[in-house]
Amino acid sequence: MSKKTVFISDADSPSGKALINRFSEARMDFVLNSQLDDKEWTDQLVALQAAGTNAIITHTDLCSRSDLASMLDKAESQLGPIEVMIHNQMLSEPAAIETCNETSFLDIMQGNAKSAFFCTQQVGKRMSTRERGSIILVSSIHSEKPTGAAFSFSASQGAIKMLAHEASLFLGRHNVRVNLIEMGPVDGSDALFPSEVSGLYESYRYKVPSAVLGTNKDLAELAFFLAKDEPRYLNGADIRLDGGFLMHYLDNKMKKPAEEDR
Amino acid sequence: MSLAGRTALVTGAGTGIGKGIAFELAKRGVKVAIHYNASEAGALDTLRSIQQIGGEAFIVQADVADQQQIARMVEISASKLGGIDILVNNAALQLDVNWFEYTEEQYDRIMNVNAKGYWQCMLSVIPYMKQKQFGRIILISSIHGKRPTDFDVVYAMSKGAIKMLGRESAVELAQYGITVNTVAPGAIDVGKFKSAHASPDRKKFPLGRVGMPADVASLVCYVASDEAAFLTGSTIRLDGAGSLM
Repeated sequence: MSKKTVFISDADSPSGKALINRFSEARMDFVLNSQLDDKEWTDQLVALQAAGTNAIITHTDLCSRSDLASMLDKAESQLGPIEVMIHNQMLSEPAAIETCNETSFLDIMQGNAKSAFFCTQQVGKRMSTRERGSIILVSSIHSEKPTGAAFSFSASQGAIKMLAHEASLFLGRHNVRVNLIEMGPVDGSDALFPSEVSGLYESYRYKVPSAVLGTNKDLAELAFFLAKDEPRYLNGADIRLDGGFLMHYLDNKMKKPAEEDR
Repeated sequence: MSLAGRTALVTGAGTGIGKGIAFELAKRGVKVAIHYNASEAGALDTLRSIQQIGGEAFIVQADVADQQQIARMVEISASKLGGIDILVNNAALQLDVNWFEYTEEQYDRIMNVNAKGYWQCMLSVIPYMKQKQFGRIILISSIHGKRPTDFDVVYAMSKGAIKMLGRESAVELAQYGITVNTVAPGAIDVGKFKSAHASPDRKKFPLGRVGMPADVASLVCYVASDEAAFLTGSTIRLDGAGSLM
């Protein structure tokens, strides 16, 4: 892949780190949005520069059109046009329909869905002017499957899915591709969705037919593929990346070591 | 259909689909709270229609973007109705704003009515339904919870959120005897589709017509009935197969 500037909306998260690692192997330049102090990034920036990669750290309010526009002006003047945007915000907290409060609901909805919309709007606008770009929205299997534990998270993922569909049409007419990755469980996902009403995450690793959980590295590989020019006909796709987790049906056929049942 | 004697709150019942739903429920013996926000004249018209057929109803005003107003609306409704058996979440906003022109304020307006409002109406009626260990919550959404609109991105996002709100709440509230289902209408004639009626394009509308509020209302009545006791967590597309074209 030729050198491109990649915007990652949440560089601090495990998925953000994996994305940086994968794209830096191909010497991409980065605009990295972070909640951390700049000093926390010092070592990483030095390492990236040594590897032939330029990166700038931003602390942008992703729900603000004006903040995003200012940041993009500044970033593109330094690194050139952003050709790849990856929105990977994945805020989640337990939320029951009956007990969730408004602040918590809005925090999750805005942190995930509203930020996805305004990032897509602002970056997409620039890409559409140049008639070039790839937008990758990282979502979750919970844009379809209920968690039984975090309804505001699921609602935000349902919204992001429709954002991807709409964007693939509107921006697609300007040669900007928009695709959605619906990430399945990784190690520790059960802790994110503790549920008294759903057994989805019980023995979750064995509900993946191979009994091998995916990682953020798998996510980064798929994002890297989507960022290339080659998959030019891939637009408006919902790509479920879960190793077949959602295909699970019969517990007695899981590839589960017998000793774990005892 | 076993609906007589039930009580219902229908949001956005001063116009279009909500008006049709309130009327059909009342026709089947349901006592109805007719919610409106700005369409008082429309709500009064719904009320008159119901009274003309001997039904029982009253109107109640609230901005469903505001949790306190929702709580007040539900309290008034439950008090007058003697509880709430059926909630039809229907009040929704569509602004048709161009992609690049959407502002933060416009985004919030849509999401606060269509997504937050749906959840908070649900939240307010749950105690009454739990008390009876019975409830029917019906979310009026759209085919645009699945298929893009190509004219209002945030409206479609709100419908995507409603899809998951319906699924999550069905799982969570089943333990209380409450079912939650989503009705996803396609093009419904609320005054905008006259040309389609005049010369139906069967390549878009295989039945030769768009839907009518009464079509949605008829389905809602079934979903609200005792006969639909095992139906929960479902999204029922009601578009005359238009989405398949």
